Amino acid sequence: MAKLEETDSVVFGISIDSPAANNAFAEKIGVKFPLLSDMNRKVLKEYGILKMYNVQKEEYDWAQRTTFVVDKKGVIQSVEEEASAINPNNAVAVCTKLPKK
Amino acid sequence: MAHIGFKSIIVTAALAGCMAAGAIHAAQEDVKVNHTSLKSGDMAPDFTLLDNHWKQIHLSDYRGKKNVVLAFYVLAFTEG
Repeated sequence: MAKLEETDSVVFGISIDSPAANNAFAEKIGVKFPLLSDMNRKVLKEYGILKMYNVQKEEYDWAQRTTFVVDKKGVIQSVEEEASAINPNNAVAVCTKLPKK
Repeated sequence: MAHIGFKSIIVTAALAGCMAAGAIHAAQEDVKVNHTSLKSGDMAPDFTLLDNHWKQIHLSDYRGKKNVVLAFYVLAFTEG
């Protein structure tokens, strides 16, 4: 994450958890970047990454793990779906290539 | 007229073929995944969300200032 700061970038984690749950999670895993709550799934819908999870025969809509890199002009530079836990290496690589100013 | 009719039959057959293929594909999937239609070069849709300190974060506030990495994860307290 320090590598990302060097590239003039910020990171946001986003899930459907409440701010309270995200804060407890942030403290537990020691992340310094903000975790955002998309409790009404508005952003997930807008970004088109809702995924149906089947848990004990009930269906739930949560996020498909996806990482977007957005440059300073607000333009998406990279879209990466992740099979398991988020891996920041690609995002770091993309940000490193983006212009500093 | 006959020519136009023939064309529309071909189009209809092609459509039916696509729909059948879609149905088979759907049956094979046990989870419904929406893959994003956003791609590199698209504008990132703006949003306002609460962070873990109940502070509003606007994506647009970072325009012209910082690159932003948006890491969407499934649920807190899981493997991410």
